Order: sequence, then C-alpha cells, then structure tokens
Amino acid sequence: MPEIILENITKMFGKTAAVDHLDLLIHSGDFITLLGPSGCGKTTTLRMIAGLETPTEGKITIGDRVVFSSEDGINIPPNKRDVGFLFQNYALWPHMTVYQNIAFGLENLKWSKPDIESRVAELLALLKIEPFSKRYPSELSGGQQQRVAIARTLAPNPKVLFLDEPLSNLDAKLRLEMRTELKRLHLSTKATFVYVTHDQLEAMTLSTKVCLMKNGIMQQYAPPLEVYSQPANLFAADFVGNPAMNFIDAKAACRPDGSVGLKADSFSGVFMPDEKFKLDCSDVVIGIRPEFIGIHDEFQPGLQGLDATVYSNMPSGMETTVKLKVGETILTSVIFRGVDYPVDKKVGISFLGDDILLFDKESGLKLVSGSLKTE
Amino acid sequence: MAKDQAKAPRMLFGNKVVVFFSKPANVILVVFFVLLCMLTLYPLLTLVSETFTVHAGRESIATGQKRGTLSLYSFKKLLFTLDDGGEQGYKSSTSWIQFYSPLFNTLSVSLLSSFLAILFGGVVAWLVTRTNIRFKKFISAVFVFPYIMPSWTLAMFWSNFFKNVNVGPGTSNGIMAAVFGIMMPEWFVYGFFPISMVLGLHYAPFAYILIGGILRNMDANLEEAASILKTPRWRIVSRITLPIVMPAMLSTLLLVFASTMSAYAVPVFLGSPVRYYVLSTKMMSLMSTYKGQGYIIASVMIIFGVVILAINQSFTGKRKSFTTVTGKSSQISLVNLKKANWPIALILMIVLVLLAILPLVSFALESVIIKAGDYSLSNMTLDFWIGRNLDYLDQGDANGILFSPKVLKALGNSLLLGISCAVIAGTCGVLVGYGIVKRRGTWLSGAVNNLSFFPYLLPSLAFGAIYLAMSGKLPFINGMFALILIGSVKYLPFASRSGINAMLQLSNEIEEAAVIVNVPWWKRMTRIIFPIQKSSFLSGYLLPFVSCMRELSLFTLLVPTSDTLLTTMLMQYSEKGWDQFGNAINLLIIIVVLIINFAVNKLTGASIDKGIGA
Repeated sequence: MPEIILENITKMFGKTAAVDHLDLLIHSGDFITLLGPSGCGKTTTLRMIAGLETPTEGKITIGDRVVFSSEDGINIPPNKRDVGFLFQNYALWPHMTVYQNIAFGLENLKWSKPDIESRVAELLALLKIEPFSKRYPSELSGGQQQRVAIARTLAPNPKVLFLDEPLSNLDAKLRLEMRTELKRLHLSTKATFVYVTHDQLEAMTLSTKVCLMKNGIMQQYAPPLEVYSQPANLFAADFVGNPAMNFIDAKAACRPDGSVGLKADSFSGVFMPDEKFKLDCSDVVIGIRPEFIGIHDEFQPGLQGLDATVYSNMPSGMETTVKLKVGETILTSVIFRGVDYPVDKKVGISFLGDDILLFDKESGLKLVSGSLKTE
Repeated sequence: MAKDQAKAPRMLFGNKVVVFFSKPANVILVVFFVLLCMLTLYPLLTLVSETFTVHAGRESIATGQKRGTLSLYSFKKLLFTLDDGGEQGYKSSTSWIQFYSPLFNTLSVSLLSSFLAILFGGVVAWLVTRTNIRFKKFISAVFVFPYIMPSWTLAMFWSNFFKNVNVGPGTSNGIMAAVFGIMMPEWFVYGFFPISMVLGLHYAPFAYILIGGILRNMDANLEEAASILKTPRWRIVSRITLPIVMPAMLSTLLLVFASTMSAYAVPVFLGSPVRYYVLSTKMMSLMSTYKGQGYIIASVMIIFGVVILAINQSFTGKRKSFTTVTGKSSQISLVNLKKANWPIALILMIVLVLLAILPLVSFALESVIIKAGDYSLSNMTLDFWIGRNLDYLDQGDANGILFSPKVLKALGNSLLLGISCAVIAGTCGVLVGYGIVKRRGTWLSGAVNNLSFFPYLLPSLAFGAIYLAMSGKLPFINGMFALILIGSVKYLPFASRSGINAMLQLSNEIEEAAVIVNVPWWKRMTRIIFPIQKSSFLSGYLLPFVSCMRELSLFTLLVPTSDTLLTTMLMQYSEKGWDQFGNAINLLIIIVVLIINFAVNKLTGASIDKGIGA
C-alpha cells in the first residue's frame, strides 16, 4: 500500500504562491483532510498530487515511485499515477448512462466484459443506485449523481483516492448521510483517502489526520482531536471548533512557584501550566474553548469565579450557547443541556479543566496549556 | 358561493389582460411577435404569391397572359421541363440547366465547404482552448480576419493570385503566373473546387468562434475525470470531448451549411466566369428575365433553411441533456503538445498569413499598379489613393479614393447604414433576449425565439428580392430607409442570440432584487441588466455593424444607385474592370471594419467571438 510523500512543494500562479514549500507525509490507509479557508491552496495541493496540476518546484512520491520531481524532470501524467479522483461537481459524462459512466474506466484497463458487468453491479449495489443504471446523469438528483461519481471513482479499486469537496453541493441531511458512508467506504476499501474541505466539522469527523492550511502554508498537521485541544497557533485555534474559541488579551508575568500571573482588562488570574515552559514575552492571548467556561446560577462564595451578565442565550435543545459579558469583554460558553437564561441575568463563571491555552500574541504560536483560576 | 365561482372567470378575463401586459417582458414579446410577423412572414407570403404570378416581360410573352395573372407557368418551366428535345437528353433541358444542376452544385459546394470549415475551425478551436500552443493571442486575433472581411475578399484574392491567360475569360496573369510562371489548371482557378475552398476558409472562423465557445464552456473536469481513469489522450478526445460537443458541432455544421448555401458573391467571382452556377447566382440571373422562376429558387432556398432549423431544434431537449456543458469550468489543464508545439504553431501561422494577411497585401499591390500583371516598382503609383485630376486613366473617377467626393459619400452612407442597423438590431436584440428568457417555456417566447432567428435562414439575396417585391406594394419602403429596415431585420438573429445568451447567464434574483425596492423597468434595464452583461450585449451591436459594412447581396437589389454604398460601388467597379479603384475600395472597407472592431474591443471588451458563442 502506497505512502504519499510531498517534499518542498511550491506552486506559483504568476507572482503569488498558491502553495508554499509544503512538506507532507501521508501514511497508507490514512484518511487525510486538507482543511482551510477558500484560497488557501488545498485544492491546488490535491490536484498536484493527482497530476492535474504541475508544481513549480519540489518532489512527490507515491508508494515507491517518484511521480514528480522538478530536479530530475520527472512528471508522470495523471492517467499513470494509479489514483482515483472525486470532483466537486461530480464531472459525470452527460452523454453516457450511469452504467457506462462506471464501466468506462474499467474498459480502459481492458477488463473482460463479464468482469466489468459484475464489478459495476457490485458498485451499484454498494452505493444503492441499482435502479438508475440505465439513466443519464441529467435525470438524477444531486445525491444520486454524487453516488454515481463515487462508484465511478471506486470502480478500478484505486489504492489512493482524492476527494475535492465532494459533499459541498449536497443539502445538510444528505451531507450527513454521505459523510457516514464515506467513512465506512474508507474502512471497507482500505485505500488512502486525501480529502479537501473548508468545513472543519467534516474534517473533524472524518479524518485520521488533518492538514490545516492558510495562504499556501501548512499550519498544523495532526489528528483532529489534537488540532482541537492543542492547536499550534491562533489561526488553528480559531478555525477549528464551533462556536469559536474565546480569546482574551492579557499581560503575563512569571511567579517564583512556576505559575504565571495574568492581567486582562476585565479580570486577573493565575495560570498553572501543565509542563515547564519559558515565558519570554509579556503580551499573551488566553484561549478558552466555550465548553471550559462553567456557569453557576448564583455566585457562591467558596468557588473562585467572576461576576458576569447574560448577554444573549441560544438554546438548541441538546446544548445551549450563552454569550456572557464580563466587564467589557464578551465570552462564549456552551453548556450541555437546554437552559433558557433571561437576558441581563447576573451569574458567576469559572474556567474549567486544564486545557486552557496560552499564545504568544506577537507570533501567534501556542506556548503552553494548563488551568486558570481567577484572583 | 357557487354563484360567485361561476362569475369569476368572466370577471377575471379583463384583469388577466391587464396583469399580462403589466409585465414588460410580455409587452416586448407581443410587440416583437407582431413586428416580426410583418417583417418576415408577410414578405414570405408575398414571395410565395409571386411564384404563382405572371410577371411583365418574357413571362407575359411566353404565356400570352397579362402580368399579375395567376399561373403555374413558372413551376412547370423551372421544375418539370426535363425533356425539351435537346440532343443530350435531360442534361440539355431547361429544368436541368436552370434548376437541378445549380441545386446539385449548391449542395455539393455547401457540403464540402461546411465540412472544411468545421474541420479547420474545430481543430484551431481545440488547439487554442485546450492545448499550450504558442502564439495563442496572435492566432485567435488573426484567425477571425477572414470572417470580418467581406466574403468576396478571399475569392478576389484567389482569382488575383491564380488567374492566368489559359483559363476562363482571363486576359491577364495573376501573381502566381506573372511572378512564378506557374499556370494553374482551370478546375483550380474557377468552379467547384475554389468556391468550396474559399467558402470553407471564409466560414472556418465562424465555426472556430462557435466551437471555441463550446469548448471554453465545457467543464475541464469531464476530461480530467477520464484522464484519472487511465484513458489515453486520443480516447478522451474521441469518447468524451467529441460526443459532448457533438450536438453543438452539428448545429454549427448546419448553420455553416445554411450560410454557404446562400452565399452569392463568391460563386459570382469564381463560378460565373466559367458558367458554373449555384442556386443563388442562378436566381440573380433569372431575376432580370423570369422573375417567377427566380422567386421559386428563393423559396427552395428558404425551405432548405427552415428544414435545417427544424433539424437543429430536434437536437436540443433530448434525453442525454448536455446542459452540464455550460457549467462552471474550474482550472483548465492544457494538453502539452511538447515537440509538436513549434511545428504546429508555425504551420498555423503560415496558413494564417496566407489567409488573412496576404490578401490585404495583394489588394494593396493591385491598387497601386498602373498596368495589370506588371509588378515592378516603375509600374506603381499612389494616384488611385491620393491622386487628383486623373482623367487620363479613364476609370470613372477623376480623384484618388481618399479625395473622391463620390467615394467619401458612399463611405458616409455605409457608416450611417452600419450604425443605424447596429443600434436598431442591437437594441431589439437586448429586448428580445430579455423577453424570451424571462418568459422561457411559454408558447409566445418560443414563437418569438424562432421568428427572431428566422431571418438568418433567409438567403440575403432572396431576402433583398422579397423586399424589392414588397416595395412595389408599399412605396414608403425605399432608399436608405429600406436598406436600414432590411439590414436591421436580417441581422437581428445575431443580436438576439447574444441577447439571449447574456440574459441566460444572469440569475433572476439580480433583477428581482431591484423589483423589490420598486425600481422601474427601464431603470432596471439601463442601470442593472445592461451594465452587468455589457460586453455580451455590445457584441450584439458589433456584429450587425460589421456585417452591414461588408454586406453586398442583401443590399444590391435595393440600392437607389450603385454609388450609394461602398460595397455596391466596389461591385460596379470590378464589373467594369476598374481593378485599381476596386482593390483600393476593398482595402478601405476592410480597414474601416478592422479599426472599428478593434476600437470597440479595446474600449468595451466586446468582440465578435463573444457574440454568437452557442
């Protein structure tokens, strides 16, 4: 099973770099997501690995074969790279029936007719589209077209599968359904999946590893839960997670006992880092996930906490998002039950757990995680 | 309650009419439906009735009936006189000579030339849109030259270049014979072969524009998807690209077929000298003697046109809908021609120079030599351009064309005609496009759509003939007014096509957003819709202008005198053998058209090749 290695890959469009010196190692059987806002170079990266786009510089290896190298002048065309590609707009051939669309790739591989027939039948069953085999793409709904496109891509049993925002044209319910099926397909085909999306929820739920990109530069490459709890920098912390992380500017000063004294506009506190670290700046940003802000209906003297007022309240049944005003700062909190706080209600809040983060304000890099108590 | 319901329909009818006409799109459609019926269907009926009528002159003498009498004489004479006792059986019969042989010639010329045009235009379109061929900008700019130039340009160039004293009625040698001493055989200089070649080359840019538009709009992912599935390059072209663009290609083929079928100027230049007739030239010669038979030929050409439209329509709306073809195209990866790049680019450049630039050089040359056939420097003069008091030449004009009041007047008239037709047809095209797209799917919209396309299928010459016949009954149709009217109607299809395309690309919400805040209709048109699709709409203005400037056959029957327009003047000069003035005027027309095309393109981004795009 192949392993995909990108070394120093750069793609210039005119004078702007769409992808900037990217190094990436994808293990076989991985489900990798290239995640980032639009224009961050994720689709370009995918197309370069597939061979649909030529990098300006760098080296790409799939398995034990170098498929692109600017130094050695190697550029193997897409049809010789043994990969599958699922396009965002499906790219089904309008003049062929569903059956012909799926069978076309197998004909290219010179499969025998009975083999083709049984393989297509298998895929039609797998994707639950048997009744449509004689129809043309224009006679199918979006979700059905999507399934045909997947069947066509899977037909030749590719070892590596590239998916370019395949779910973005579907409605919310279908998207959820297809997400489940993609994850199952990944397990049953045992292929390597490289998946492009701008939807952080898709990336979180589907992948074994997320490659987060911004302006052509990789920000973090880690399993989704690690990206969530230990984001490498402010961008990663902000991009992943919904509702977004709370960021509070503060002045930091080390104390003799290893803790850090923090002074923000609306409160001051003491931060206990999980591990030893060196603080070489005084301007920091405190990052707190909404679920780590606990709300107490009444301020209890024994519990360390802050006075806050409810700014707005958005219950969704399973959980409730509460916007809180502390001094002049607005914080977002999520609690996992349905509560309907009246606006302007006075409550007490505290910071829970030891996954509170400290970032260097200037470089944006994460410094350390730990717990935070107010003083 | 029941009583109210029974009453309701009658009460509502008046309301329905008011509601119907409160929508500008409906008003536009109704107005244009009526107008187009009057300007296309009524003339058509006139034409049909003329075929059953005895005309003054020979027809009247032959039948012994007064003019205006109803008679089947013309039909019998033209279509059913297959044996009138000639020595060679049917081959010497009237019907064969006057009708069946020209019909056969027309069909074979049209077939070969449209095939050539599609092949040449299609290959260049593919090279420019789908490969990394060099000099793309130059190629696509120069390739449309032959289409912008008057259709007889290449024909004139062909005969300028290849004519020699051995063939046809030629009395002088062309460049090939004079300079290189090569005498080309007659089949190469006049008749079927050169007519097909020249028409094919003239319409190749047209095919290029249409097919290029399709290829540009075709989603490159469709090809990439095949590439990923290990499809060899040739198989992608043959199994994916070609089948997907096939319906559009066929429709292009039919349009080119219809255009070549009604071509007049080229067969005149390259066929008449050796008595090789096609339907259009035959019709023109019959118009002076047997009008009824001429009108029958015009009707036959129109029937062909309508059949072609019907076939074309049956291609659309099939099961294998190709609507996805116009989908969004993301990044297109171009085919790498590798080592073939330079040779292909070079060959194409040479062909383009031969086609687009050499004719201009030849016209410039022919317009400065004093004695035909002698291309030495001592035989050259600029008198035909800027000279004064040239009485010694005895060529109809005493001044070079840039100082001749006659030529300048004609230039003014041509410009006036071109601009008027462009403004009228272009504006109507925008309105028709708006109405048709807004009410898509209704009967009225479909009817206006077909009616507005209909003039395209009427051969220019036949169309001119119809209006000539009509002007007899409606005397206010004369002079410049008649020319502007017929020009506007004839070129409406170009404008309405680009209007429809422009409107189709605009989502409904854009206008609805303005309707919600109560912006009046005319303001929505002028401030929102037109500015957004400016370049598409302007192409709808540019095409009628360019077409009018270089049009001959449409106007030739309707001009008050042959001095009225540059093109008719040119035809007169070349008939009289005043070759230098003729070539100079031809060059003048081409330069004016190219300059205006270029200026409009630079100023607004509109261009010919954006106009018709499928």
